[in-house]
Amino acid sequence: MANNPAGPPRRTRLGEWLRQPGVLVALPTTLFLLVGFAGPLVIVVVYSFMPPRTFSMFQAPTLANFVSVVTDSYYISFFWSFALATVTVGLLLLVCYPIAYGMAKLFGKWANLVTVLIALPLLISENIRLFGWVLILLKNGILDGSLQVVFGLSIPSLLYTVPAIVLGLVYVYLPFMLFPLVIGLSMVPHSLKEAASDLGASRLQIFREVELPLAMPGILIGSMLTFILSLGSLAESKILGGQAVVMIADDIESAFTFAQNWPKGSVLSVMLIAFSGALVFFLFRRIDLDRIIGRR
Amino acid sequence: MSGVASGPILQLRQIEKRFGDFTAVTGVDLDIAEGEFFTLVGPSGSGKTTMIRMLVGMERPTGGDILLRGQRINEMPANKRPTCMVFQSLALFPHKSVGENIDFPLKIAGVDPAKRRARVEELLSQLRLPLSYYEKAVQQCSGGEQQRIALARALAFDPEILFFDEPLSALDFRLRKTLEKELKDIHRETGKTFVYITHSLEEAMVMSDRIGIMQEGRIVQVGSPSEIYNEPSNKFVAQFMGEVNTLEVETAGAARVRNLADGREYQVDQDLDGFDRGFLIIRPEVVKIGPSAEALANRIEGTLYNDYALGSRVQYQVRIEDVGVHWLVERLQDEPFESVPGASVVIGWRPEDGILVRD
Amino acid sequence: MMNGKTTRRNFLQQTGLWAAAFAAGGSFAKRAQAARDKELNIYCWEGYNSDDVLDPFRREFDATVRAEGLTSDPDAVNRLRAGETNVWDLINVNNPWARDMMWPEGLIRDLPRERFEPMMEKMMPAFHPPYAWALDKSGEHLLGMTQRFGPFNFVVNTDKISRDMAEDQGFKLFLDPAMKDRYGVLTYDNWNIYHMCVAADIHPFREHTEEEIAAVGQTAKQIFNGAKNLTDDLVQMNLALINGEIDAYFTGGTYTASPARYDGANNVRGITPRSGPMDGKGGIVWIELTSVVNNPDPSPLADEFLAYVQRPDVSKKVAFAEGTYNPVTQMGSKEVLDSFDKDELDAIQWDTLEEEMANSADYDINPDYAEMYDLYSAAKREREG
Repeated sequence: MANNPAGPPRRTRLGEWLRQPGVLVALPTTLFLLVGFAGPLVIVVVYSFMPPRTFSMFQAPTLANFVSVVTDSYYISFFWSFALATVTVGLLLLVCYPIAYGMAKLFGKWANLVTVLIALPLLISENIRLFGWVLILLKNGILDGSLQVVFGLSIPSLLYTVPAIVLGLVYVYLPFMLFPLVIGLSMVPHSLKEAASDLGASRLQIFREVELPLAMPGILIGSMLTFILSLGSLAESKILGGQAVVMIADDIESAFTFAQNWPKGSVLSVMLIAFSGALVFFLFRRIDLDRIIGRR
Repeated sequence: MSGVASGPILQLRQIEKRFGDFTAVTGVDLDIAEGEFFTLVGPSGSGKTTMIRMLVGMERPTGGDILLRGQRINEMPANKRPTCMVFQSLALFPHKSVGENIDFPLKIAGVDPAKRRARVEELLSQLRLPLSYYEKAVQQCSGGEQQRIALARALAFDPEILFFDEPLSALDFRLRKTLEKELKDIHRETGKTFVYITHSLEEAMVMSDRIGIMQEGRIVQVGSPSEIYNEPSNKFVAQFMGEVNTLEVETAGAARVRNLADGREYQVDQDLDGFDRGFLIIRPEVVKIGPSAEALANRIEGTLYNDYALGSRVQYQVRIEDVGVHWLVERLQDEPFESVPGASVVIGWRPEDGILVRD
Repeated sequence: MMNGKTTRRNFLQQTGLWAAAFAAGGSFAKRAQAARDKELNIYCWEGYNSDDVLDPFRREFDATVRAEGLTSDPDAVNRLRAGETNVWDLINVNNPWARDMMWPEGLIRDLPRERFEPMMEKMMPAFHPPYAWALDKSGEHLLGMTQRFGPFNFVVNTDKISRDMAEDQGFKLFLDPAMKDRYGVLTYDNWNIYHMCVAADIHPFREHTEEEIAAVGQTAKQIFNGAKNLTDDLVQMNLALINGEIDAYFTGGTYTASPARYDGANNVRGITPRSGPMDGKGGIVWIELTSVVNNPDPSPLADEFLAYVQRPDVSKKVAFAEGTYNPVTQMGSKEVLDSFDKDELDAIQWDTLEEEMANSADYDINPDYAEMYDLYSAAKREREG
């Protein structure tokens, strides 16, 4: 955080080090992050080692919660959360890439309008937007009703199914994939694609050799954002899925509320954070962003 | 390469390019010979960039034909043409190493990997880049090195014609001079046809076999560097080379013209048949000053207004008091002349050193 | 009132009050004390925090009133245990907590009987003093005042399932294979568990054997596996019921059915089973009790607010506060009763209320809740589509 690579920290004493302008300037932010970001995380971690169903942080630590989570059927919730997040990210990439391409390269001044249209719904609560989908997908709802009136055919209910959850996830997190992709694709200079074409590359080769790697920072950030958001999602499964499957976030919420079992909720949170953290770490290790952006 | 050195490799017939109402290029006819170093020169906005983009296939002409060895290639996309361009921005791939950049066209062409590596190393040494650069990130290379990488990449494509879009314009003077000469060497070594565009006639003179001057979407003159220098087809071409003294004149009898601004008359060494009105161009380096001017046929008196040292030469501004016009005069350092600012001087030139153009 | 949903709004309120609590616990506590006679903090199920209810009080007493909606009874009690007694002045939770937990633990203080018992006399007869849930075990101390209450069991669409058949079958209805995929589960987890006990013919509010607990787990599996959808949103559940996605939902009552009924969907009806394992009764009724928190720096407005909500017009507002509509014990007074029109009475199923109350056991504490909860949540997770 507050490191200053230019300074010679070996020689200076702590007091002098603290009086450096860089350190002083970074201090409020550092404190804020420690208290506001690291603090709660530490509390959650501490709670995960407290005896089950207790509310104090100052007891003898135990692994009982981890054991009970591992031996219980929570793997199902983890499985569904990771599976749905993966499917969501995949679909979002397919849906958003062409839109992002259009916004970055083709729409010109209309791109701003598209941006506004896509960003505007973010001002409305996610639950309300999802509820809109309920009204569409509901039996005798907008979709079913319209089809019945216009074509005289009735469709099986789409509500309360896994595809409905995926639909909700794709719908709600679309901007979080789209905008990083737009930025990613804007970072691909047109001249590089022309140069590749000039050097004999076909459209597919240009896409694979030039566009994709150069847009990778945007793709990665968008995928990461939407993956993590989907992983922690709750409302889509509850509202559109009728909890056809239980997401891990739902288990965490229940543990903290109805079950009054904060330590178990903490263990689930810690495991979720650890899994997703490991994934992000792994991805960033595999794919060298600096290299792609050309900083190295 | 084909080794057939006869006939034009590239022919342009009445090429035209419009963007909506705007006409960027119009009525261009041009033949480029196999193996020549041809340079298109023009100020920005003259249509030379549009021109080269059509030649490499990034734009389609809205009129006329482009023929490559007699085959019409108007509609052929860039990636299908056996030509290739070094971009002004160089367009090196930032996510690829030096070697991977040079390797790119070989990889795309599906060349055997072992041969690719050998070819890349060959190009690295041809362009005086260390073999160790294969793994180096292009962003870590200097401007001159990046130029060489871009050229190596283009050469790896083995194009029949190599185009250059002002690749040296962003470099400092010294480096530019070095690379101009290297480029000429490479041209000689490879024997390929080079088509170069630049806004610097000076740069064009150094490298080119022939030069085409573009003005407002047209090619106004094509010729060897000395033709362009000695026989500019119009005032624009003459002035493009650098600072010149330009007088608007009309015919005033046999081998005489009259300056419309002040009525002074000068001798010219040209047949004035059919010449009514035009411009008399006198380059600063042919104007003599002081004693050496006294005996010349064309003379004016003026006041020494200013002098500038140009290294081997000195440039003077001489003010003609009655019309308030400044003449530019250049003189070699070692020619004897005592300059005193404010002093009256005589300047003059030989009739054969004046260039008469119609427009 | 009894679900565990944390809306964003009450999260913000919660955050604000936590901050207030933090400040109160700090060095400003002394100075803050001086101002407490114009200040009142209420921790309650939604409804009491409605501005319709609070604003007239604020004006009349020139008071700063803050109210936070609570999300679960045990959660609320835990927060008092954790030291928030110095934040709150009034707490509104369901009936068992005052007598069995908060009073023995010294979290609440008693009310002056001479002032409040006359008010209780005006309530519906079942709530007249001495009313057991409002008293401590010795019967000497008055611990709180009742207001909203309601039978809470399950809800059906009477166009699809007749009231008579539903009352007759009780919770067995949801174990019928013919009902597979025709009902939803409103995931108010705590109530689900009590109702699953009843469905398994087990009294929820007493000690259970291992076999009984396992049987409840089994019933939970059966009910989840047969459910078409799960949600904790009563609006969505009613919508599914009205649109025919489902014909009934497990866990619900006047509290959840009333908004739909008040909107004209009179086929949405809370059902109280006629018989069951709770000394013959098959339904459960909740009664809210509002108590005065044993705040070391009490606000004199606490008693005033308790008296204020007994007023006929305020009682009506509490009954028809935003979101859900519920009967109130003050409907024993003709003046209060007369302030409800026919539609409002129909919304809260006034016509059958007495009968339903007669078939219901009072909500209480389930001593094996935690153990049952693990089985319950596993059943939900392992649900077979």
